[in-house]
Order: sequence, then structure tokens, then C-alpha cells
Amino acid sequence: MNIDEIFDFTSFTIDREPHIVLDANVCVGCDNRGCTNCCPARCYTWSEEEQKMTFVYDGCLECGTCYVVCHRKAFTRWRYPRGGFGVAYRMT
Amino acid sequence: MSELYDAIVVGAGPAGSSAALTMARAGLKVVLVERGSFPGEKNMFGGVLHRLPALEEVFPDFWDRAPLERHIVKKGVTFMTGDSSFSTTIEAGNFDRPPYNGYTIFRPRFDRWLAEEAVKAGATLLTRSTVDELVYEGSRLAGVTILGREGKLSAPVVVAADGVLSFTALKAGLRRPTFNEGQMAVGVKALLDMPREMIDDRFGLVRDQGFANEFVGCTAGVRGGGFLYTNYDSLSVGLVFHLASLKTSGKTPYDLLNQFLEQPQVAKMVCGGRLQEYSAHVIPEGGYDMIPELVGNGVLVTGDAAAFCNATGLNLEGINLASHSGVLAGKAVIAAAGKGDFSRKGLEIYRQLLNDSYVMKDLKLYRKAPHMLHNDRIYNEYPELVTSLMEYIYRIEGAPKENISKLFLKAAREKVGLGNLVGDALSAWRAL
Repeated sequence: MNIDEIFDFTSFTIDREPHIVLDANVCVGCDNRGCTNCCPARCYTWSEEEQKMTFVYDGCLECGTCYVVCHRKAFTRWRYPRGGFGVAYRMT
Repeated sequence: MSELYDAIVVGAGPAGSSAALTMARAGLKVVLVERGSFPGEKNMFGGVLHRLPALEEVFPDFWDRAPLERHIVKKGVTFMTGDSSFSTTIEAGNFDRPPYNGYTIFRPRFDRWLAEEAVKAGATLLTRSTVDELVYEGSRLAGVTILGREGKLSAPVVVAADGVLSFTALKAGLRRPTFNEGQMAVGVKALLDMPREMIDDRFGLVRDQGFANEFVGCTAGVRGGGFLYTNYDSLSVGLVFHLASLKTSGKTPYDLLNQFLEQPQVAKMVCGGRLQEYSAHVIPEGGYDMIPELVGNGVLVTGDAAAFCNATGLNLEGINLASHSGVLAGKAVIAAAGKGDFSRKGLEIYRQLLNDSYVMKDLKLYRKAPHMLHNDRIYNEYPELVTSLMEYIYRIEGAPKENISKLFLKAAREKVGLGNLVGDALSAWRAL
């Protein structure tokens, strides 16, 4: 089994409006960026070269990890998706 | 959307549906609000459903009707290193006779069914509805709003059953705005399809028998553990990590899960399985010390929202505590409705009911367990100590043997230090 395969089997209904909004400027000064390794859906990517945090909410499993590990309060919004949107587990 | 209800339940998981069912059966007009397109769509666990004494009372034929998978007759613990493992299992005749000790279940199926039972009892279920704000009239709670929709749902009381991050409890001022990552864990799980006969043969099961195994030493030094549970024709395999430890490790949950699945002994157990779904969720593992305020003006907090979770290392309990607290919240609302008093004082009986139940008693009993489990030796040195010692004991190669107790002390001195060994044993004894 490889990593890419793991992410391919979970279903989503993606909302155009993000449920999590990140102020990536805050991440530039972060000494830790625990979100990048802790997020089980690898939604957070830090580029050392560009000194830039990229966040995509499409594959978000709504697990809550980033909400807990971010100690810089970098979220301008963190809520669950509107009803009916987001991750849709079938048989977990 | 301005209908008046007796109570609003936020979240149709085990806590919320148990609360709604209890209140509906007592004749209250209840609305159960769920953000998923059906109850259970957002929910995952790596676990076993145990007995539900409070729910069984209001729902006597629960076990005959619930959509269950296998009942657990065999429980194991495996101490693991890179390519070796030492396992113990208990298979008890009593585990194979009703009432069974526990079942594997699928949350999207089980949670949906339980919510539908609440509906049959008279509750109204609103799916695709994310609760946004609590609405107050003065200091009195008046209802909730739904994200992206006009108007509000009106009721004098809200049961917060919206899970571990409970924004309902936050907005009611009952939980702290930030969590302590030392009190939180994240679980990741792979659901693997596997033919029923293969599971039966591989794990030594017949009829509807199931196997549940926990693993220690499989997390590359990150505090946490692994699990493997058998469903009828699939395996639930995953890892749980303490978030503070995962964060400092720099390791990722999915890489560690892949490594776990590739460990030679685990690889043999999952061989032939086909990935169906990958899921993840945060777990409140801080125990008694992280419980938020449980009662506010017009608000009660239940289930994961209340951090009702017992993780002692050997047993992992959550759904049973959620359901129990949900029933008790329902009973507290019924009592408050009788007096027409939904103030903090009127709802205070909820705390009393909880204190008298196994929910609070067990959380108090295992209060020190989370602290005990914050010991890195459990996840590195001890699994190594156990596997290397057992390997030595079983190795026969024509060389004279050493005395086993001496050998144990020697290995323990090398791997963990005798002072640590005594200290850890005492800490475990006190915690459990």
C-alpha cells in the first residue's frame, strides 16, 4: 500500500466556500508548523524555498488536528462545512 | 424555520441520538440537528461498542435490533519492534455467550440507525444542518441558528453533542477556547475489505465471532498505539497518536500507518485486504482533568464534547460513555421541563446523575492513566525489552542458558534502567 492510494478512497462533497481560512502570513513566523506533519490529510505544505505555507481544504477529513496543534492562532475561520458538504464516510 | 421545540440536540452521534431518544420517548418535542447528509457520515472510531446500560433501559430490545458486526470473543495485545512482536490473547468462553461484551460496528450504519430510532420515538431529525450560533434572550437561551440559513430553531434548552471540538460548548462559554495538545490524540484508520472466510481462517474465528487487538511499539517512538478489529468482511486497522508527541516527532500519521501495515507480522494479518476508506479524527484523551463545564444556562454537554473518553491503554471507551451521558442529559432535561426551569440551577441534576453513574466514577478512577501513558519508555524501550527477552528464552542453539530472572534484570538495566522500571511499575499500578 502506498500513501497516494490511501487518500484516493475517501469521498468528499466540496463546498466552494472554505470552512477553514488560514492567514498564511502568520505561518511564516511560526517556529513549529506542527500542522504540516500532524494533519492526517496532508492539507498543509510548507515550502522552505519560498518561505510559504500552502493550505488546501479539499481533502480535509474534518478531524480537528490543526485546530488543536496550531499555537499561533493562524486561522481567521475554523468551522465545520455547511450542512451536507465535506467528507462523507461510507463504512468506516 | 421558527418552530418551537422543547429541546434541541446538536449532533446525531451516539450521545445526541441517545439524548433525543430518551426525551422523545418521554413525550418531549425534540429536534436532532446533524451536519452530515445522514447521521454517521462524519463519524469514525477505531473501536468496539460495549454494553450501554442507560440506553438498554429506555430501549430494551436494543441489541436485537442494532446493526452490529462481529461480537468480540478474542482480545489481544502485541508488543512490537521493527520486525519482531510478542502477543498475548485472551479468548473467554463467556465472551462468546450473550450478553456479549462488545461488538465491532460501522459508524455510518450504526449512527444512522440510532438516529432513525429517535425519529421513530417522535424526534425530528434535521440533516445537512451545521449549527452556527446560540441565540439568547437576555441570559436565557432561546435557540440556535443554522449556518447558511435564515431564521432560527427555538427551544429553551440545547444538548451539546457535537463532538470533541464542540463549538456549541465553546459558544456557551463552557469549554476553554484552546485545547491542550497534551490532552488530545488523533486516530487514523484504514478500512480493508477482506472475504469473510479469510478473516475466519486467519484469526481463528467461527460464526459471528470477532477479534480485537491492540499494538504497542508500532509508532516509531511517537506516544500512541495501534489497533486491528475484525468486521464481518473487512478489517479496521489504524494508529492513535498523542498530538503533542506526534507534533515534536515531525513524523506523519499516514507514513506511520503505512509502516505499521508493512511491519512483517501486521503485513501477514492484512495481506489480501483491499483499501476501502481512510479516515481520521481527534480523540479527547485527557480524561477527568479535561472535562469542561457540563452545565450552563439552557445548555448541557455530553459525549466527546464533554471529553467523556477512557483511554487506559488496554481498553478504549467512548461510545458507551457518550450514549450513557446522552441518556442522562435527556433525563435531566425531562426533569427540568417538569419544573419549567432550564437555568443552570434547574439543569444541575445532570451533574448529579453523571456523578452517580459509571461515567464519572470510571473517569475519576482512571484519572492518572493519561499521565502514566505520557511515558516514552512504554512506546520504545518496553516493547523492545519484551520481544528481545522472549526471543532469547525461545532460542535454543546449544549454548548454556543464563538464569532467566538474572537475564531479565540485565536486559531491563540496559534498556530502561532499574530505577525507571520500578517507578513505571508503581505509576502503572497507581493509575490502573
